Amino acid sequence: MNKTVLNFQNVWKTYRMGDEIVNALAGVNLTLEKGSFTSMMGPSGSGKSTLLHVGGILDMPTQGTLLMNGKDTSKLSRKKQAKFRRKEIGFVFQRFNLLNQLTVMENIMLPSLDSENNKAEELLERIRLEKKHDKKPNQLSGGEQQRVCIARALINNPSLILADEPTGELDTRNAEVIMNLLKDLNENDGVTILIATHNQLAADFTDKILEMQDGKIQ
Amino acid sequence: MDIFRLSFKNLKRRKIRTILTMLGVIIGVIALVVLVGIGTGMTSYMKQETDSMMGDIIIVNSTEGGPPMASTVSNAFLSQNAVSQIENMSQLYNISVEDDFISQINGTSMYIMGTTTWSQLEFNGTPGVVITKNLVDQFGYKIGSNITIGNESMTITGISNTNSNMYLVMMDISKALPLNNYQASYVTADTRSNPETVKDDVQNSVNGTSAYTQSDEANQINSVMNVITLVVGAIASIALLVGVISIVNIMLVNVTERTREIGVLKAIGFTDREILSSVLLEAGLVGFIGSTVGVVIAVILLLIGLTVFSQQVGNINLLSMVPFWLIAGVIGGSTILSILAGLYPAWHASRLNVVEALRNE
Repeated sequence: MNKTVLNFQNVWKTYRMGDEIVNALAGVNLTLEKGSFTSMMGPSGSGKSTLLHVGGILDMPTQGTLLMNGKDTSKLSRKKQAKFRRKEIGFVFQRFNLLNQLTVMENIMLPSLDSENNKAEELLERIRLEKKHDKKPNQLSGGEQQRVCIARALINNPSLILADEPTGELDTRNAEVIMNLLKDLNENDGVTILIATHNQLAADFTDKILEMQDGKIQ
Repeated sequence: MDIFRLSFKNLKRRKIRTILTMLGVIIGVIALVVLVGIGTGMTSYMKQETDSMMGDIIIVNSTEGGPPMASTVSNAFLSQNAVSQIENMSQLYNISVEDDFISQINGTSMYIMGTTTWSQLEFNGTPGVVITKNLVDQFGYKIGSNITIGNESMTITGISNTNSNMYLVMMDISKALPLNNYQASYVTADTRSNPETVKDDVQNSVNGTSAYTQSDEANQINSVMNVITLVVGAIASIALLVGVISIVNIMLVNVTERTREIGVLKAIGFTDREILSSVLLEAGLVGFIGSTVGVVIAVILLLIGLTVFSQQVGNINLLSMVPFWLIAGVIGGSTILSILAGLYPAWHASRLNVVEALRNE
């Protein structure tokens, strides 16, 4: 039986917007097995990003339980949450979010728990940017920046990669490159990946597509 | 990547802003070091001068209240009897009697200086008197003229180039004493044993006298100069404080501008404490680099000052103006103040909500 990496148990996330109460997540139940490659689709405001934030321990559920590798994340202190994120979770953002004052190599090494950069060099080769290791992010194309972002997410061998619209800022050709890279990491390295996307082409690369609507998985 | 390198790179990213922020600290530090440096330099200069002038002890009339300070005119004198008692004390040698007093010459107040130590005043000869140049300009005296003080007529044998606001007439002590009823301003002497013991002997055996050692004199100079240095230093510190306050402002701007970046750092696993440290480190670096540059510029300015005014200031050395404690205190103090200035912005950054920070445009 496959090991469960992430487990949402009746998770609710409620916001107050003025007088209105918004259920960004309305009783989500979701299980991600180790080595799975899953995408979430749905209109804006359906709760995809909130699910990634809660799943990535960036935000706490209003109600319900979130287990990561069997551990209840709500019981962790802020400091332990940060350490847990660093070790167990890799984030890939729509807008790459690389630090412009750092080189490609430094960006990849930024969250590294190991001062040796062997792993970073290996990843640079994997994303085919070994010749641009000392370039700054603003000297790279969008597709290249997103590849660096993926390498940064992988530096500590996390249990899970969470990607919020990873192809949202890219043209079709670059979107395919990124999705092929994620697919390769999933198939050959067994990395567990959950992405939120509007892009059917991106979703087609994944093994399982979830539909979200009004904070619920359909 | 360690947080120190990240902070350093953050400062490098906004060079102009960082340099302008540092400029506030630099100006404050220059003002502080130059002004306090002048104060401490003057103190050590005055001590050196006193030490070379006064011998081991200095004896004055007990109503004087303290050792005589440079360029003040005493109005309490040692009697002829007291002076001769002092001169007869076996514990003392190299005794020199000084007599400074005001006298009227043709209705004008003159400052008469009678001294045993002619060589120090660089006179041209002993028999006559030496006058300052302003007397020449005002009354047309020249070498060879006669000047009448009291009932005595004396020949002018030298003209001093000393710039003085007073009309100064300098002569040998033997000529000066009769003009002042054989009273003396003070006596300086070296002692054959511990000056502190001899000082007590003098006070006990010669009625109406107070004796002061070099350390008494140094204490007096110190207490006066410390007050001056403290006041001047406090005023200069205001400039430094303004510079440090601008760090609070700039760090807040930096943190606000980097909200999204801080969100990213937190998302990829940086703890609140690491974020706090990185901002504090940035603020501390501004203070440390700014104050170091400030100290270097201040030292250069003082060196230029010492060179330009070398004739007036004599042999003050730079080390006495900018001692190690001043450099260490200013750099250490500025760095600590800057870190304190970074506290609020750093706390603000560390408490940012990750999700909201990531949404920040």
